[in-house]
Amino acid sequence: METEEQEQIEHAVMVLNEKLLGTALGILFGSMLFLATNFLILKGGEHVGAHLALLSVFFPGYRVTFFGSLIGFSYMFVLGFIIGIVIGAVYNKIVRA
Amino acid sequence: MTAKIQPVSCSPGASHTDDTIPPQLLRAIAPLHPTAMGVAWAVVCGGLLTVATLYLMLRGPTLLKFDLLSQFFWGYRVSVAGIFIGLLWGAGVGFVLGYGFALIRNAALWIWLTTVRSRAEMEQYSDFLDRM
Repeated sequence: METEEQEQIEHAVMVLNEKLLGTALGILFGSMLFLATNFLILKGGEHVGAHLALLSVFFPGYRVTFFGSLIGFSYMFVLGFIIGIVIGAVYNKIVRA
Repeated sequence: MTAKIQPVSCSPGASHTDDTIPPQLLRAIAPLHPTAMGVAWAVVCGGLLTVATLYLMLRGPTLLKFDLLSQFFWGYRVSVAGIFIGLLWGAGVGFVLGYGFALIRNAALWIWLTTVRSRAEMEQYSDFLDRM
């Protein structure tokens, strides 16, 4: 019985839920940029977030301001969601093949 | 010798017989497929770097010095050749990251399962000496 269960676990392989993975990665990515932006705003200084502001090359409208952090969250959420969907889809296709 | 892998069903209502682990439980403790995870990450990382390079090429010069990636990815440039070099580097690094992530996650899961099993066994035999 014990070895049977052990064999079952060893031969099992996880299938991912694409949408859940996408949502989780989206929230994670979005939160990272949101927190990074607001950390720099609170830290202050002469040139606030001079390097992070370069993300506006890829994310038009993004700025190192509170409103910009919300825009950045939206962009990163969408990016994370797409990444999660792609990872889940490719992984599941290989596992199920 | 190759072991046949069994993808765990995601349907919550999947039935099981008495001598098998319930699918809901098996889904929680099933290991990740490292190669599949590596390939998935390779597709994402390679794709992202390719799209980013292509976008920067079409957009023209910016303040962003994306060429600095060549510090890590030898031969990479924001150019036509750089698209392919970036794709290869991105896919390679992505595969290593994905494969490594799956290995570490599976190892952590194995340690956790072993700990839980050991504790359960110790609890089961805790009164062993009392019964002698």
